[in-house]
Amino acid sequence: MIEFTLLNFLALIAFGVFIGLLGSALGVGGGIFMVPFLVLALKVPIHQAVAASLAAIVATSSAVAAVNVERGLTNIRLGITFEVTAALGSLTGALVASRLPSGVLQLLFALMLFPVSGLMFIKVRRGTRRQKVAEPAPAAAGSAFDSAFFDPAVGEHTPYAVRNLAPASFAAFFAGSLSGLLGIGGGIVHVPLMNLVCGVPMKAAAATSNFIIGVSAAASAYVYFRKGMMPLELTGVIVTGVLIGSFAGIHALYRAKSEKLQLVFSALTLAVAVKMLMKALGG
Amino acid sequence: MGETFSQKHFAALIQRTLLAGVVLSMTLIFGGFAFSVAGFAHAEAVLRAGLLILLLTPAARVIMLIYGYWRGGEYYFALASFVVLSLLGVSLLIG
Repeated sequence: MIEFTLLNFLALIAFGVFIGLLGSALGVGGGIFMVPFLVLALKVPIHQAVAASLAAIVATSSAVAAVNVERGLTNIRLGITFEVTAALGSLTGALVASRLPSGVLQLLFALMLFPVSGLMFIKVRRGTRRQKVAEPAPAAAGSAFDSAFFDPAVGEHTPYAVRNLAPASFAAFFAGSLSGLLGIGGGIVHVPLMNLVCGVPMKAAAATSNFIIGVSAAASAYVYFRKGMMPLELTGVIVTGVLIGSFAGIHALYRAKSEKLQLVFSALTLAVAVKMLMKALGG
Repeated sequence: MGETFSQKHFAALIQRTLLAGVVLSMTLIFGGFAFSVAGFAHAEAVLRAGLLILLLTPAARVIMLIYGYWRGGEYYFALASFVVLSLLGVSLLIG
């Protein structure tokens, strides 16, 4: 258990706000930053850090999804389909994780961050290139998963078709298991999966991912909560910060261009990966 | 979606469920902190209840999805939602 100094308290709230802001725009719960922050900066044991991070993900997902669903950004049908495999993966991951030593968990986390950073960077480049050529044309005859939303950044109604659903749902199992293993919502996998594999536009992918990760994080969080591994006060403080950030960020970042945010995100992920790897190998 | 239960009603239902969960849990979490500062005995229990409600919010949302899809006649999605709820139940009970 960490000691609550004023500095710790303020740092936790501020970090929570930052995570909430990121989550509301990119569809990721921010566990990928939350766990290293708690472990490296505040010396929280990794299992407790994972548990607190899962609760924070549930908070940001619930708060942000409430708004995105109303705006029609969230593809609920696609979301619930991914949730089936993601929740299954998440449960499996959480059961395995509490039996793994902390060192292995840290190493796994660090190794996973490198490809995530690369994926993000590739996505930014692809996004820019695609914009220069042409917007992908939506299919004429659609499935039940096809949807549309209004994008205020371009001022257009954006219809889209969903492709490759079967392989993507299988990959969602993997994303879910990461959530249980490492205390991340899996959004970092869901967003590129929906965007690159299924052809869902970035904003709808982010909103739908945000919707999904609440359930996969909750499935893992129950396991930690039941085992008494969730540090109550620490989690309460983080959740408060995350909710402030989520509500503040929804309106501001909704209108922002996603590419620049993704680029910053890619660089940050890489930095955290290097630091976490050094810690795992050194300790 | 049926005429009586439109997409808009469905979205509003999901939104209200999520917001209710978040607001209720935050009230309890703040209550827990306030009790803790005031030195009351049950501060930890209140804080724990607040976090539990937060963690149960996604499950409540899935229950609303089952209800909404069932009413709208989209039984495939109602079934998918039911499977998700069952997995959450398994996680809560045997985890």
